[in-house]
Amino acid sequence: MNLNKLAWRNIWRRKRRTLITAFSIGFGVMLSVTFTGSGDYTYTNMIDMGASMGMGHVTVEPPGYHLKPTLDKRLTGTAKLQQQIMALPGVAGATVRITGQAMFASARKSVGGAFIAVDPEFETAQNNLLLRSIVAGSMFAESSGRGMVIGSKLAKKLKVKIGKKVVYTTTDAHGEIVSDIARITGIFTTGIDIVDGIMALLPISSVQKTLGYAPDEATLIAVVISDQRHAEGMRDAIARLPAAADTAVMTWKKSQPDLAGVIAFDKAGNYISQFLVGLLIAVGILNTMLMSVLERTREFGVMMAVGMSPGVLFRLVMVESFWLAIVGLLLGVIITAPWYYYLYHTGIDFSGAFGSDFSYGGVLVDPVFKVRLFKESVMAILGGVFTLALLAGLYPAWRAGRVPPVESLKTI
Amino acid sequence: MKVESDMKPIVSMQQVVKTYRQGKVDVHAVNNVSLAIRHGDFAVLCGPSGSGKTSVLNLIGGLDVPTSGRILVDDVDLSTLAASELAEVRKNRIGFVFQAYNLIPVMTAYENAEFVLNLQGVSEAECRERVMDTLKAVGLEGLEQRRPDEMSGGQQQRVAIARAIVTSPAIVLADEPTANVDSHTAESLLDLMQQLNREQGITFLFSTHDQHVMDRARRTIRLHDGKIESDEISD
Repeated sequence: MNLNKLAWRNIWRRKRRTLITAFSIGFGVMLSVTFTGSGDYTYTNMIDMGASMGMGHVTVEPPGYHLKPTLDKRLTGTAKLQQQIMALPGVAGATVRITGQAMFASARKSVGGAFIAVDPEFETAQNNLLLRSIVAGSMFAESSGRGMVIGSKLAKKLKVKIGKKVVYTTTDAHGEIVSDIARITGIFTTGIDIVDGIMALLPISSVQKTLGYAPDEATLIAVVISDQRHAEGMRDAIARLPAAADTAVMTWKKSQPDLAGVIAFDKAGNYISQFLVGLLIAVGILNTMLMSVLERTREFGVMMAVGMSPGVLFRLVMVESFWLAIVGLLLGVIITAPWYYYLYHTGIDFSGAFGSDFSYGGVLVDPVFKVRLFKESVMAILGGVFTLALLAGLYPAWRAGRVPPVESLKTI
Repeated sequence: MKVESDMKPIVSMQQVVKTYRQGKVDVHAVNNVSLAIRHGDFAVLCGPSGSGKTSVLNLIGGLDVPTSGRILVDDVDLSTLAASELAEVRKNRIGFVFQAYNLIPVMTAYENAEFVLNLQGVSEAECRERVMDTLKAVGLEGLEQRRPDEMSGGQQQRVAIARAIVTSPAIVLADEPTANVDSHTAESLLDLMQQLNREQGITFLFSTHDQHVMDRARRTIRLHDGKIESDEISD
């Protein structure tokens, strides 16, 4: 009989104990899937949401603009660079934008805010959160027109409605104060108070004229990619483009440090929770394996007496840990699958606890608790739990081969 | 008759001492014992409790190491070996039969008998042939697939004997092998071991209190306080 077969039979000597331990491993898998799946889903959601709020997953901008965003710093030859970026695999969209601060004034009130000047031809609901959050009116159609889309709270402060005129005042490329007029074509509500309270979309060609920019000058190109996990690779690929010389290329982590900080902090908490879950699993397995080894001390003595070496005995107990881990993982998959299916498709709605502001770290978050596991997370969970089970078996296995046979045989 | 022979011994104990520490007192479980077991011996170690019978068996079997002296099994000096090397000697040269059978409960009779052959790395086909022959020799033909809890004490001890002899060891060490069975079963087990000794030349060394075992032995080594009191061969 080989070691695998013997170890398999050994773990079923005490069925109830093995099943309890296997279920604890299984529940560990379920918790780990819930924590990790929530992280994978929420972080991706937040990052994608953040990217669609103006800066993209990867941002191309003039050197130094990130530290001091003034309108005298600008990219040139944006059309060519945009074309080269769009040709890269994995790019979902690349939009040329001008971002800046402005004073908005209606006939009744003036309010400080910020604008994003965009070309409606390249803006889509996928790459622009404000566009997909329009609740009244519509996006302006021409980049050289005088349309304007503003946040609902900003509209409320200005006491304006669709069709009303708003004057925006800002500083141009030379530091001079300039103004222009726009007419409101749409109003958006993102659910993020600060965005709804200060932001406005303006047509890029009109803003370029107002600021004294050439037609292919802008402050940034926001690049949205199909998978946020590849942002670093995309940053490097863009930086290597000939047209990207003399530009600064950065991922969302640098362009949105608040969001990166919130995610890093949340991840750290998640890791601690997972560590504690892992510890509980490991203690359970250690306890089971240790009891199993201690109650078989005499049997191990017999095995050693007839010629089994301490090394082979160590392997036997490790193989038992292996089988226990496999059974636990299988049970984990069985009990986790329906739970995961429910959370993936339906989720748990926490919107009642959020109030009206669904923002966290400056971006909109989904108030419905959902999960989504990346392949690498699945591998990490299965590999992690499996490794943990084997590590927990190390001490009992070492102990099994350590007692001299003559002492083992004396035990009852 | 006193034992004297020029035949090369399978086991040779030379001035072996085994001392245990019990609290602040040193206990000499084996006290300067010199002993030779020769091929084909059917010998018993007897004596009162605490006389050192089991200690001598453990030392010969490489389960314990002497405090001083040398023990040679098939010319291999056990006192110089590491734990893993001792395991090799036990696996290849020594068979054990214990008082409490000590079969592995999750294995069938066949698998228990096969266990040491597997450790030796014997091929499956050869394993099968040797195990089936051995189980037949110990009278367990047809019971190969039974687990220990499905067998009587006598049958379990027969499996233990099969496990001990299936590798053709230099010597089988049996620690009170009849102590846990009734007298009828004890007689049949002794018949079996005597038959194996006579027909296959397997060397047996028993430790026992049982007069029936002593009566069957061709050589009786009497121990007292860790020393050999007498060593005699019956005619």
